[in-house]
Amino acid sequence: MTFARLIAFALAFWAATLPRIAAAESPVVAAAASVQFALVEIAQAFEAETGETVRLTFGASGNLARQIRQGAPYDLFLSADESFVLTLAEEGRLRDQGVLYAQGRIGALVPRGSDLKPDGTLEDLRAALQDGRLGRFAIANPEHAPYGQRAREALIHAGLWEAIEPHLVIGENIAQAAQFAVSGNADGGIVSYSLAVAPDVAARSEFALIPADWHEPLGQRMALTKRAGPVAEAFYAYLQSPAARAIFDDYGLALSHGEG
Amino acid sequence: MDWTALILSMQLAGVTVAVLLPIGIALGRWLAVRDFRAKPLVEALVALPLVLPPTVFGYYLLVAFGAASPLGQIWEQVFGQTLVFSFEGLVLASILFNLPFAVQPIQRGFEAIAPEIREAAACSGMAPLTALRRVELPLAWPGILTAMVLSFAHTLGEFGIVLMVGGSIPGETRTVAISIYDKVQSFDDSGAAQMSALLLVISLVTIALTFAFSRRIGRRLG
Amino acid sequence: MSGELHVTLRQDAPIPLEAQIDCAPGEMLALMGPSGSGKSTILRAIAGTYRAREGLVRVGGETWFSSAEATNLPPHRRAAGIVFQSYALFPHMTALGNVMAAMGHMPTEQRAPRAAEILGQVRLSGLEDRRPAELSGGQQQRVAVARALAREPRVLLLDEPFSAVDRATRHRLYREIADLRRALKMPMILVTHDLDEAVTLADRITVLHKGQTLQTGTPEEITTKPNSEAVARLVDVRNLYQGQILGRDQDTGRTLIDWNGLQIEADATAADDTGEVTWVIPDGFVVLHRRDRPSRGEHENPVPGIVENVLAIGQTAHVTLRPDHAPELPVQFSVPLHVARRNGLERGVRATVSLLSHGLHLLHQS
Repeated sequence: MTFARLIAFALAFWAATLPRIAAAESPVVAAAASVQFALVEIAQAFEAETGETVRLTFGASGNLARQIRQGAPYDLFLSADESFVLTLAEEGRLRDQGVLYAQGRIGALVPRGSDLKPDGTLEDLRAALQDGRLGRFAIANPEHAPYGQRAREALIHAGLWEAIEPHLVIGENIAQAAQFAVSGNADGGIVSYSLAVAPDVAARSEFALIPADWHEPLGQRMALTKRAGPVAEAFYAYLQSPAARAIFDDYGLALSHGEG
Repeated sequence: MDWTALILSMQLAGVTVAVLLPIGIALGRWLAVRDFRAKPLVEALVALPLVLPPTVFGYYLLVAFGAASPLGQIWEQVFGQTLVFSFEGLVLASILFNLPFAVQPIQRGFEAIAPEIREAAACSGMAPLTALRRVELPLAWPGILTAMVLSFAHTLGEFGIVLMVGGSIPGETRTVAISIYDKVQSFDDSGAAQMSALLLVISLVTIALTFAFSRRIGRRLG
Repeated sequence: MSGELHVTLRQDAPIPLEAQIDCAPGEMLALMGPSGSGKSTILRAIAGTYRAREGLVRVGGETWFSSAEATNLPPHRRAAGIVFQSYALFPHMTALGNVMAAMGHMPTEQRAPRAAEILGQVRLSGLEDRRPAELSGGQQQRVAVARALAREPRVLLLDEPFSAVDRATRHRLYREIADLRRALKMPMILVTHDLDEAVTLADRITVLHKGQTLQTGTPEEITTKPNSEAVARLVDVRNLYQGQILGRDQDTGRTLIDWNGLQIEADATAADDTGEVTWVIPDGFVVLHRRDRPSRGEHENPVPGIVENVLAIGQTAHVTLRPDHAPELPVQFSVPLHVARRNGLERGVRATVSLLSHGLHLLHQS
């Protein structure tokens, strides 16, 4: 009696899942965490214009590349660092080498009310390390997040890497690093320009760009994967249109940056 | 509020429970009734997910079912998509990872039935399946219910393994727990807060209902 | 002539068994032995929930188990009704449900009325809808009996069915079982460790020790003529002695035995006219010589001695006497308490008993 009801309940759950499995799915765009705000806005514009939807998933570029290698069903990959795209293309997992869509920039971000000052030359950070003001400092994981690699390069360039290492909190990707810093859980951090200009972030923090020549250039590249269909292709083309370009630029994801 | 993620999590939990139920009953009863030399090993294997970090578990699943593995390739040839980073992959991971939550309460449930009751069922002329349906399952019911609720709630809340083998594909592998994580990272604090509260309430209500229900059953069986 | 139960079981491990049991239709056979003697194992081997290495279980013309023919019917295909020591009622079912649960062989619509009828037979009408937890111990036992009968069993197996109830209830249940069994036509096996219970209820008793069936006989045979020291001990015959056979009395034909210097006579015939013999005398055949009047059989085997101990249990006095000729070999007997009082039986007092020659039982010679 109770058992029969239980079986019915289980079957109902089965049934509920069937339509989901059968449904035709819109393409999945895997993108670096640094472009998440820009891409959400572009995807909305794309949907408004074409009526097609894309599904967005964000993470550290290195992780997304690994997942593609393991067979993740992504149609389009926006990496924060072109090396991941080029390597995957070489391995034959992408349709081609794709195109650059931005030059990434990093900068120092401090939450409002922090003891640190936003300072692109990191001089205040140096002073804070010396006078003991600095508690925690956030960067993305240099192992698989391109913005984390560039942050490390900049800190090495400034001669601060060894001194700051004990203070570092490592975000799994650049968005998490930014989250640590913006929320005040860290005193500051090095994050992408693209996140710093997002309204939610800008309202709660201050930011200063680090000179572009302190680190290797960060050519952000995107490419379609082998499984991409027409909608993914259309979105790929849309990302290169002037309308999308303007949104990228708004979020600090310009293809070339004037110094400043 | 990410309703897609919530529905997906519910579906994942529901399918997991539906698949785990017969497995849990078969395995739980076997472990409760039989005694054999390798039993501690089997019990340890079942309990392994309790102590193993989800990342370790996820890593082995990636190795076993990833696109490069023979199993993963067979799956891809048959179903046209990879097992990892898919809903089906999450179901599989979820079933394996929930084994102890399903098997152990069911095993305890069957162990609580006196051997004489089982003998009495057989000696009353009931064939094994009839005895299971009419005597053993109703008596092990509190354990079975606990197993279902724990597996359900645990699947709703599972994070690490979903992150490892699922990615975060909306409508496919972005579960509630992952969605909350994503929301925090995209500075959507209110969204994260709402979904966390909802998950908290659902988990609490489910478990409270179970406790109330098993107490009622306990009284009935005196 | 079908319906007879025949059981032989033999194995060395894990539980040693060497058992032979036969039980006729309508007969109640008590399988008696101390705990751990294998009684329940034998019962389970009959019901099919235990599988012995070697043996045969046949009921009527039907073979339930035969190691020789590699036959082993599962328990649900053996029509054996069993009443468990703990009753093992299904706690989630009502009394009626418990009985109906054993009626899988009947058409569905006939089950409820038939189950109610059987419950009436065990005098549980009106309690059909109670769950086991809402029934007294005695009522639970009756449901268990009803459930065992509901299967229309070809044998009825009772596993210590009275051990879980209080003394008063037990005696009432004895009477009920005795009444009920008259209506039953199948072989019935009662497993018990209690001699009184076996004697009260059974037609025959099989004595079991360490998995071995030692002796089968009527209650009287078992209690007065044990065939071995082990059986004597198990049926509580404590007057067990060694003697020397002297020969046969030409006039009476009685066997003459030298018991540590005292010559005694037995009606029983020895296998051999010389040699060592072990003999017993159940305490019912030990007669006290009364002070006030001569007792019946006073001339038979008088044994004078000193009272060692008098233990009153209820209205019976259990007396230990140390014979003059062999104080190290006490004789046990019992008399009504008032007789003990009237004769002034107490520790240290002289008394004489007679060992009635027809009660003297010779076990074996060496």
